Amino acid sequence: MSKQLPVPPKRALPSKEATLFKDLLALYETRQLKKGLKTADQILKKFPEHGETVCMRGLVLTHMGKREEGLELVKKGMRLDLTSHICWHVFGLIQKGEKNYEEALKSYTQALRFDKDNLNILRDAAQLQTQLRLFDSLVETRYALLRLRPNLRQNWIALAVAYHLNGNLTEAKKIVDHYQKFLKNLLDYDVEQSEILLYHVRILEELGDFKEALSLLDKKAKERAIVDRTAIMEARARILQRLENDEAKNAWHNLIERNPDCYAYYRGYLSCQIDHDQSAALQMLQPFLSQISNARAPWRLALDIAVGNDFEELVKPYLISSLEKGIPSLFADIKSLYKDESKRQTIASICEELITQHTEPASKSAEPTTYLWTLYLMAQHHSYLGQHEQALTTLDTALTHTPTLPELHMFKARVLKRSGDPLGAARSMNDARLLDGQDRFLNTKCGKYLLRAGMVDEAESIFGLFTKKDASSPAADLEDMQSLLFLSELADCYHRCGKLNLALKKYMAIQKVFNEYEDDQYDFHGYNLRKFTINVYLNLLRWENQLKSHPVYVRSVLKTVQISVAVHDMPSLADPASQAPRLSDEEKKAKKKAKKAAQKTQDEAKKGMLGSQTSHEDRGLDAPPPKDDDPDGYKLLKSPDILDRAAKLLDPLLTGVQDNIDVWFALYDVSIRRRKLLQAARALQNAQRLDSSHPDIHFRIVHFKSTISSLPQLPQEPVGSIISETVNLIIPDTVSPETYNSQYLQRYPSSATSILSVAKVAAQILQVPQGEVEKIAFGALDEGVLLDIQSAQDILAFLRSISSQRFDDFRNSCDAKFPLSTVFKAAEEQARYRQQVLVAGIQETPEVDGTSGSAADAEKS
Amino acid sequence: MNVRPMRVEDVIDMQACNLQNLPENYTMKYYLYHAMTWPSLSYVAEDHKGRIVGYILAKMEEDINEGEQPHGHVTSISVLRSYRRLGLAKKLMIQSQEAMASIFHAAYVSLHVRKSNRAALSLYKDTLGFSVKGVEKKYYADGEDAYSMHLSLKS
Repeated sequence: MSKQLPVPPKRALPSKEATLFKDLLALYETRQLKKGLKTADQILKKFPEHGETVCMRGLVLTHMGKREEGLELVKKGMRLDLTSHICWHVFGLIQKGEKNYEEALKSYTQALRFDKDNLNILRDAAQLQTQLRLFDSLVETRYALLRLRPNLRQNWIALAVAYHLNGNLTEAKKIVDHYQKFLKNLLDYDVEQSEILLYHVRILEELGDFKEALSLLDKKAKERAIVDRTAIMEARARILQRLENDEAKNAWHNLIERNPDCYAYYRGYLSCQIDHDQSAALQMLQPFLSQISNARAPWRLALDIAVGNDFEELVKPYLISSLEKGIPSLFADIKSLYKDESKRQTIASICEELITQHTEPASKSAEPTTYLWTLYLMAQHHSYLGQHEQALTTLDTALTHTPTLPELHMFKARVLKRSGDPLGAARSMNDARLLDGQDRFLNTKCGKYLLRAGMVDEAESIFGLFTKKDASSPAADLEDMQSLLFLSELADCYHRCGKLNLALKKYMAIQKVFNEYEDDQYDFHGYNLRKFTINVYLNLLRWENQLKSHPVYVRSVLKTVQISVAVHDMPSLADPASQAPRLSDEEKKAKKKAKKAAQKTQDEAKKGMLGSQTSHEDRGLDAPPPKDDDPDGYKLLKSPDILDRAAKLLDPLLTGVQDNIDVWFALYDVSIRRRKLLQAARALQNAQRLDSSHPDIHFRIVHFKSTISSLPQLPQEPVGSIISETVNLIIPDTVSPETYNSQYLQRYPSSATSILSVAKVAAQILQVPQGEVEKIAFGALDEGVLLDIQSAQDILAFLRSISSQRFDDFRNSCDAKFPLSTVFKAAEEQARYRQQVLVAGIQETPEVDGTSGSAADAEKS
Repeated sequence: MNVRPMRVEDVIDMQACNLQNLPENYTMKYYLYHAMTWPSLSYVAEDHKGRIVGYILAKMEEDINEGEQPHGHVTSISVLRSYRRLGLAKKLMIQSQEAMASIFHAAYVSLHVRKSNRAALSLYKDTLGFSVKGVEKKYYADGEDAYSMHLSLKS
């Protein structure tokens, strides 16, 4: 095959075997694995040292699920023939299957050294280069492909995309221009050509050539060469707007007619007005306000704009029509209007009026359901304003009126949750669920609330009512289905219960899901170029680039860091015996379940292998997930490099999400413990830049100062000076840490989180006597301090951590301060509440019983 | 609520919305496959904060026999319970149908529904105008039958 190099004698085969080898390649291409294997064996019988055949045999075996044996052979084959492009190609394929993209690309590069014009290898290399974002080399590879096959239209577009990705829009444009010129014999209604034209328009837009973009768009739309009407109209409106062309208004208007529920179209339309005042904007919206039921968007937008009487006139029909229809999302819809005090009052008085109308015996105007939805709205109104009691009273009135509306129970659950009663909340959510057992939404909510209440097993059996029955457990199914909601809630639940091992496992499961999302793009590097869906493909790459800035991912990393730091500071936390004993049963079950799940995965893998031995079916090249030899997470927790791993996870966040102060706190916590002083200083400076009064920065500032001053000597220059300057900048040498701490307290006397921070500094850094520390912490109970439930729980946790004798005092005071809450009750009392949570469930729905029973049976077996 | 064409960055929220609402779930690759192949057919509904509260995930049927007309298929459609009664499912469906008909000349759109799912059946039938074309035995992994439903796009 190679054109430049002579075939080495050991590779050359006599003509019979050479033909067989060609057959082998063809059989592999069509995945006729069994025949392929036989053919390979035939060659090897005479030429057991033929490297390429050995490699191919290994590749076929890998496809059949015999990965280890296959890999062994591939390596052996490589050793036998290191200058064969086939051997390197096979090795690259295997590495790619293991998601080892860097190494795979190296192998492909080797393969190309021995056969530089091999189309398959070039194409695969281009995919790897895209995955690795090596755009310089991508351009070269795409160029080589185009040179070899200039008749394939895909190769032209692929080169343009490569230039585009490499930031060279001008070249991309040239290529696409050139491509358009030699196109002939286009089909009518060619969707692919239509996509290419839309890509062409995008290039021109990104280059800022709006006029050219518009004329291309208009011309090709008129010729019906672009067939996607919505895409045409959106691009047209967007470009006209950029050109400040008068036609823009009309273009937006057309879009509104096409989809009257799209806010962006109205916003575009409104931005075309000449006078930027409210009455002009309202006037522009007026024609769209015929019927609320047709489209709510213009009404809702008008409510944002209108004030005073205009507002009242618009909001009244909007509210009444929504209440008559029983639209559950009404409050979520209008909540943002509450930022305006007078709008809030207008809404409240309209609702109160509606309620009075109904309660007056003489009145028959209001429908009972309208009354009900008005009560629902009012309850949300009260809850939003923090009036939990009033919210509950209103809900009770509604529930007496109609006890069977799930929304009422759902919202009651939410109010209870907000007032510090997660157990009561879970109970109400379960009541909602029982009213409509077929609705997975209610089921998910109930499971989530159970996790919030710390009831893992109960949550899992509720979730299990909708998960796949053949999954090893409901949790395993939800994890396979990439449920970030479930994984986050479960991880948080374990974290709150002090199950750091299991929490860490689940936070890492979230990271695994994001790694899967990242791997998912791979196939599309080839696929979209064949389909010519370029615009959406470029958006895919952009999305993938920012994937790890997603809040769920970021949070999972921050939590991983928190746990890693906690275990580093107190290694006994990684000890199973140290975990809170009251939950050990739960943990045992979790462990058992995890083991069972791991066993099942293994069994399946084995089954798969056995299956393939008999059926020879293709199992692909992707490596199966490695066996989990640490289902309970203790190995992870005890690994000596736990901080290094945390640092590695954190690294990409430092460029991706610089505006998240918690990222800098996490970086500080890890760096200072790894003795990376400069990095720690940088973290503190960045945190200060974002919010210098943040309570969590205070502790770290004092911590940094005390760490630096306890060093036997400063690091070598120039680092030493930078460090001491930083310290000096944040706490001047003239101020002692003690004074700094009390000054901070004086500065934020009403903030409970600041009080906690000062108490932590006193206890953990300044070694202040326990009594003093407690006195500081108890300051949070003083009149004038804004103590919320979360801060109160944090302070309580802190008191527990210093084994305070006054723990129960603080707890009791909070219990009195938050009368609706249950989180400050004594453990026994909480246990009693916990037993009540699912009581209604057992009485009213036998099928729930049945399911949880069968889950228990399954566990026994 | 805002009804607009789906964007790539919606996929995580769409997947979450689906998992919260429906028993038929898919891994991310399947959402991406829809978006990458038919970027104009899927739509989302979002609230004021940009959270996805409903979606339609749609495609064109790929395996059509010779002489058969091209037709669209709804892989999944759902609206969060707390955002119902706004007619969002219908609005999403109309936008998607329009795109199927105008871009791909789809003659009709099909979908599957569990025989036992009365709520969904009534949505498709009464609200969206679909009719039952037949039953597909054991369509679902757990052995349940599906109704195959059609809606003509020829007006």
